[in-house]
Amino acid sequence: MVNRKLVKFLSLRYKILAAVLIVLAGGLVLLPKYEKHEGISPEELLSKTISPERYISTDDIAHKIINQDPSFILIDVRDENSFKEYTLPNAINIPLKKILDNDATMYINQNQFDVVFFSNDNFYSDQAWILCNRLGYKNLHVLKGGINKWFNTIINPQKPTEDMPKDALDLYSTRKASSMYFGVVYPEQVEIKTPEPVKKAVPKKIITVKKKKKAPEGGC
Amino acid sequence: MGPLIPNGFIPFEWSSIIAIVIGIFFGFILEASGFSSSRKLAGVFYGYDFAVLKVFFTAAITSLIGLFYMDYLGYVDMSSLYVHPTYLWGAIIGGAIMGIGFVTGGFCPGTSLSAVAIGKIDAIVNVLGIMVGIFIFSELYTLFEPLYNGYFQGNVTLVDSLGINKYWFVFILTVVAIIMFAASDMIRKRVKKVFY
Repeated sequence: MVNRKLVKFLSLRYKILAAVLIVLAGGLVLLPKYEKHEGISPEELLSKTISPERYISTDDIAHKIINQDPSFILIDVRDENSFKEYTLPNAINIPLKKILDNDATMYINQNQFDVVFFSNDNFYSDQAWILCNRLGYKNLHVLKGGINKWFNTIINPQKPTEDMPKDALDLYSTRKASSMYFGVVYPEQVEIKTPEPVKKAVPKKIITVKKKKKAPEGGC
Repeated sequence: MGPLIPNGFIPFEWSSIIAIVIGIFFGFILEASGFSSSRKLAGVFYGYDFAVLKVFFTAAITSLIGLFYMDYLGYVDMSSLYVHPTYLWGAIIGGAIMGIGFVTGGFCPGTSLSAVAIGKIDAIVNVLGIMVGIFIFSELYTLFEPLYNGYFQGNVTLVDSLGINKYWFVFILTVVAIIMFAASDMIRKRVKKVFY
């Protein structure tokens, strides 16, 4: 037996499918819209934030600069005056205000180099780091402690006291060597030339041998 | 979560294998819907069979609506899907050449291969013609290069270039498609039946 109801229903199948498509497409228009999360997800940002790779120590950077490692670019996020006053070798100045400019993205948004942000502390550089991470840029790092720490560790390392472990002494000698690379001069490095004592012409002593007066020898 | 390969749920190396599997199913469905017959395919140009129009438009609309729903629910990130780049004049001229080939040969590249698989001689000739065309294009590449790489518009979609709401665009496209299906059915009923 042919199920008449089913036949009647199936004769309308194309119309039903068309109606389903229109209802679904109309549903898209009527759905409540919500603002989509732009940039990377909060979970990803958190994992990057707590990653140990986020910070680079001043010792690592000094080592890289000395070995002329070409794999990174230093970005100074302080203002222009501070940049002119002092900065790290080969650093590029992108003040935090201008970090979203087109000129800046050219340096930051690329996959070839590691980007290392630094400021006086790591306060502004951390802000730059967060901003650029939200934009989805890659290979971003922050110089831990910034220029202040750079001064205290590399340029002017604290001399360890004698009761400190050997590691501290080794670290000090490494830092001292790198500070010499960056142009610091130590007192012991300078040879103090003690002026050679000028030889005074000592008048020759003329030893005059006095002839003993011969006592009259008597002869008997 | 999706797309699955860019987000690392499926290793990139699997993409070729998945492509082969999808290709086998695609070929099977083309053949099953009768698209390995050049008469059926060419029917859309002569007005006696609109299966091509219906099948491909239905596929496009279904996937479009499905993708937008998945994007809305957060299963697929539409922004990381691949959008084919537009080279304007290359696409227009290439499309015109492909259209002429479609009308005269009765196959588009995909269906011609599916017809070769069931041993149709006209499809074999068609595929040989495609090979000759590829050979000529490759040999004269330096001549065609300004056209091939020029007039670049970026990876744009219709929504980008028209600047309208994407959901309205999907709705309007769906309505237009269904009107088109109804109109093509009416045309087919008036045209003399062709048996093939």
